[in-house]
Amino acid sequence: MEEFLQQLLNGLAVGGIYALVALGYTMVYGVLKLINFAHGDLFTIGAYLGMTLLVSSRLAGSLPPVLVLLAVFFMVALLVALVGCLLERAAYRPLRKASRLSAVVSALGASIFFQNAIMLIYGARLYVYPEDWRPDFTVDILGFTVPGVRLLVIVASLVLMLALHAFIQRTRIGAAVRAVAIDQGAARLMGINVDRIISLVFLIGPGLGGAAGLMVGIYYGQIDFTMGWSYGLKAFTAAILGGIGNIPGAMLGGLLLGVIEALSSAYVSMAWKDAIAFLVLILILIIRPTGLLGERVADKL
Amino acid sequence: MKRLFTALGICALTLALPLGVLAAEVKIGVMCPLTGKWASEGQDMQKIVSLLADEANSQGTLGGNTVKLVVEDDAGDPRTAALAAQKLVSSGVVAVIGTYGSAVTEASQNIIAEADVVQIATGSTSIRLTEKGLPLFFRTCPRDDSQGVSVASQIQKMGAKKIAVLHDNSSYAKGLAEEARDVLKKQGVELVFFDALTPGERDYTAILTKLKATGADLVFYSGYYPEMGMLLRQRAQMNWNVLMLGGDATNHPDLVQIAGAEAAKGFYFVSPPMPQDLDSEAARAFLAAFKTKYGGEPSSVWAVVAGDAFKALAASIAGGNTEPEAIAEGLRQLRDLPGLTGNLGFDRKGDRVGAFYRTYVVDAQGRFILQP
Repeated sequence: MEEFLQQLLNGLAVGGIYALVALGYTMVYGVLKLINFAHGDLFTIGAYLGMTLLVSSRLAGSLPPVLVLLAVFFMVALLVALVGCLLERAAYRPLRKASRLSAVVSALGASIFFQNAIMLIYGARLYVYPEDWRPDFTVDILGFTVPGVRLLVIVASLVLMLALHAFIQRTRIGAAVRAVAIDQGAARLMGINVDRIISLVFLIGPGLGGAAGLMVGIYYGQIDFTMGWSYGLKAFTAAILGGIGNIPGAMLGGLLLGVIEALSSAYVSMAWKDAIAFLVLILILIIRPTGLLGERVADKL
Repeated sequence: MKRLFTALGICALTLALPLGVLAAEVKIGVMCPLTGKWASEGQDMQKIVSLLADEANSQGTLGGNTVKLVVEDDAGDPRTAALAAQKLVSSGVVAVIGTYGSAVTEASQNIIAEADVVQIATGSTSIRLTEKGLPLFFRTCPRDDSQGVSVASQIQKMGAKKIAVLHDNSSYAKGLAEEARDVLKKQGVELVFFDALTPGERDYTAILTKLKATGADLVFYSGYYPEMGMLLRQRAQMNWNVLMLGGDATNHPDLVQIAGAEAAKGFYFVSPPMPQDLDSEAARAFLAAFKTKYGGEPSSVWAVVAGDAFKALAASIAGGNTEPEAIAEGLRQLRDLPGLTGNLGFDRKGDRVGAFYRTYVVDAQGRFILQP
């Protein structure tokens, strides 16, 4: 039982990161019906920018570590959001009127571009976050030893997800995002600046992805230029699992995928854990083709 | 062309005659990658062998004989190696030292064997090289399957009772894990776990939690350093004090960075010795001489085993053997000759006998310390 709970917690921490990355896929899909394959690489950019900022701010060393961490967190989210916005301008906006397939090819191209750009700038070897930025404290909860950072990752991703959910559901701009997701033409007739809403979506999604990259860097310590691929694939799967285009669905899908992976590697076989995760995905899609929380795929955000 | 050779031959004979009167000169070929992707190892091989040859000639430790080296570049390429081997055997060498890389050595093997010349391969670990039954072929590096034996004996030495073995499904790591497992099974050690992880991931806590539940007191991971670093780090976060052992793919300075010095402390790995850690008397004298002559240290232990090849040949020649068959017989009779990377000796197949792999442990400062 104790091992089971421990594995559940392991799965939730991994799943929290999947969920954060999945939000970026699902928001862009909800608004543009486009699968942004470059999202995983925006996540990698977040991890690398975070490392660069931490290394250079360590030289400054004037602020307490917690403040530096928070500052870096917001700087990374902002910078990656800007990169996402530029990506939309350069790679997706010119193709807005073209067929959806062209946009997908453009997204794949952007992914390859980003991955190689990171490799050329930083080099192909793996990087390690500065060690003094890896807080190694542990917390005891109900007799379990839990690394403190693990809790922080779970809490931070939950807070970010809930904040996003509230923003989309409760604010006027959120209502505009929902309107654009349902019908761009009608939204334009209602006086909504569709281009600006799309830019906003490309700020929020990549910003969250970049923040997830920073969290992975701080928590796991090791980053490399191909890490966006595996996290992107898993997060995309999570978005589909929960119902793509649906924000609570992405959160549920991410957490669920993390837990399935942890439990299948614990009770079936480690080497088979990815196969089992995808098997579960296929089974869910057979029973509910739109994912767990998706209703009519095309209309939801 | 033929006339040119005849002319050259006559020249060589007239030149050789006066020398032959002074002392028997034995020609030894050195085949190594002086250019190409392994150029740094190859150039080190040449430097090491010529340093040892000069020493042996000037100190007269060859039983009244002298050696003359003939160096050929194989460029780390099988086709160039075949040509280099032809050139060497036609220049009248009695033995060839080299080369680096199993595929390259294999391309030269038959040419040298058909010319009835002794070959001592250096950095060529592929098993099948010595399974062909070539009577004049030897090597001073271990075979691919000998690391598993070293790992198993290290596990025994550490006194672990319940062993978990983990690999990453790559052919190298899986092979090593299976060899270690088979040896351990024969020794009657209890294996509580054998499975693969997915390399390139960040989170191995699920695996570690599972391993902890098996009650293992030693975890052996046969894969590469990025995953080993994550395993060490996440194990420390779990407050789980289990012995961790790695294979030679975990021997990388970044390992400590990934894991953190605190988490890496007390991690053991089995690996070929690093050149600066060679600690026998012969090795220390050699490293000092190398430093005086060339500055710095040899970059890789796989180049140093070329020096071992020369040491073995020199010992056989000093015993009065100057013809290939006699030299090979002398090599087979060597027992515990102090070499650079440990004691030298060969078995019936021509493989090196004796321990080559060493054990390192990571200390509190994150340095790799050679274990006695």
